[in-house]
Amino acid sequence: MQEVQLTKYEQEMAAGKHGPGLQKAINLLIKYGDACGAERFVEITSAHVMPKEPPELLAQFTEGIEELPVTTTLHPLMAAFSQEKWQDMGIPKDFAEKESSDHEKRQKIHGKLGFIKSYSCLPMHVGNLPRKGDYISWIGSGAQILANSLLGAKTNKDGTVINLCSALTGRALYHGLYLDENRYAKVVIKLADGVVLEGEDDYGALGYFVGGTVMTGNVVFDCIPKKATFDQIKYLIAPVATSGSVNICHIVGITPEAPTVEAALGGKEPEAVLVVTREDLEKTKDLFKYSSEATVDLVLIGCPHVTVEEARQIAKLLEGKKIEEGKRFWLAMSDATYTLVKAMGDAENIEKAGGVFSHTCMAIIPDSPLPENVKVVMTNSFKAAHYVNSLQQGKVKVMIGSLEQCLDSLKLQKRS
Amino acid sequence: MRIKGKSLNNGKVRGKALVFDVPFSFIGDMCPDTGTVTMSGHPLFGESLKDKILVIPTSRGGTIAPFIAYHAQKNNVAPTAILCNNADTITLECALTIDIPIMDGFEEDITRLLVSGDELEVNTNNNCIEVFR
Repeated sequence: MQEVQLTKYEQEMAAGKHGPGLQKAINLLIKYGDACGAERFVEITSAHVMPKEPPELLAQFTEGIEELPVTTTLHPLMAAFSQEKWQDMGIPKDFAEKESSDHEKRQKIHGKLGFIKSYSCLPMHVGNLPRKGDYISWIGSGAQILANSLLGAKTNKDGTVINLCSALTGRALYHGLYLDENRYAKVVIKLADGVVLEGEDDYGALGYFVGGTVMTGNVVFDCIPKKATFDQIKYLIAPVATSGSVNICHIVGITPEAPTVEAALGGKEPEAVLVVTREDLEKTKDLFKYSSEATVDLVLIGCPHVTVEEARQIAKLLEGKKIEEGKRFWLAMSDATYTLVKAMGDAENIEKAGGVFSHTCMAIIPDSPLPENVKVVMTNSFKAAHYVNSLQQGKVKVMIGSLEQCLDSLKLQKRS
Repeated sequence: MRIKGKSLNNGKVRGKALVFDVPFSFIGDMCPDTGTVTMSGHPLFGESLKDKILVIPTSRGGTIAPFIAYHAQKNNVAPTAILCNNADTITLECALTIDIPIMDGFEEDITRLLVSGDELEVNTNNNCIEVFR
């Protein structure tokens, strides 16, 4: 078996010279690297980890560590649990109390070591912005595919423990997507003549269709307008890693490793060219078929998290209005973004209309119980639709629509 | 019967096999509080993984699976070893997190060579499993 070669400092960590936590973390990484055939470590410049660690595990792996080696942000809280908002969201008390106790234990360690309490799935919006070519270790399938694609920083798709060990040691194994030859696209994505992408549900349908059709490897989109916004790209890319396990979505003229199709392909011929038609997009939307007749109980926006621009758009649509009594409207957003949205007056507008902001994850809600009486959920995110549908195992119906359709389903009334 | 494979994390344990014919994930396919299999409609539904040797083709992924495996071990309901045809990175990570032996690279499909209830000894020192029938 190939063995991971260690620098002097890595040998010292492995021997326990820098404390028991680092010793445990580096030795776990070494075993993993030996099994994967990695030859060495590289130093990472950024980490993004999942704040759902079993508290004892976090305590063991951080024993003796005083400060994290690199900028490390925290992912949203999983489940619909927010210490501040669970009551407003209608989450059952017994569930929230159990989560709250673990959350407090973790928070103590996170605070002491300097984990940034960002609770965001868009780390690049909350002070964690790696550069092209940087080796990083990020968690979250959406954050990973955005880092690899939109930023051109390199992260592997590790699980939560390898990721935590990398954040603690500042080291990750040199393998997988760290190697240039594993980053080139093999499949070119085009749109059929005349197809124009409109709402975010069009972008999402394209991403979800491509992920489910191509399944693995990397793709290059040769069909996205240069003026596409961050939000449109977010809705395009996140579902690609949901319906399949595609690693990198290059976008010609937009993402750093794809100035041209040829560059994204590494100078090779593509293995396939996928031409997506309007019918493909509509059939994809029909998987979570929208009906204006259905009575929607809960609307979820913010998978990936709501940005300042989106919040502004939502606030405008809700100006002077409120949602129908009994319906729920959740918006997932980091606290940092919320501060901006509040400063601009948009948060007040949305909250007065009945919206609840929370720094949680809208995709994994089913990890927690949904509020009672929620039978139909509507979202503009294919990623959220996919997970709510699969994890709730048929207990709720999930529909996809544009932002405007989602808000319409809340039966907006005049605010007094 | 003796079956050769490749060790990815060392250890020696003896126990009964629980054999899955489909990919398994620590998220969603088992309850980490009780150790019971939660795959609805599967023949192993309701069986316990506690102290068993988990035999699987591969995993169904889930980046948070290592935390769930840890949770199960804390509750004393985790498996004691994993044997799989192809150890994907997440299954490997789960085994390393709870430090149980894991092997793959068997000459034949391990989920067909073994049946649930087989008494096994996993010994990574000689890269072998011994089956007592």
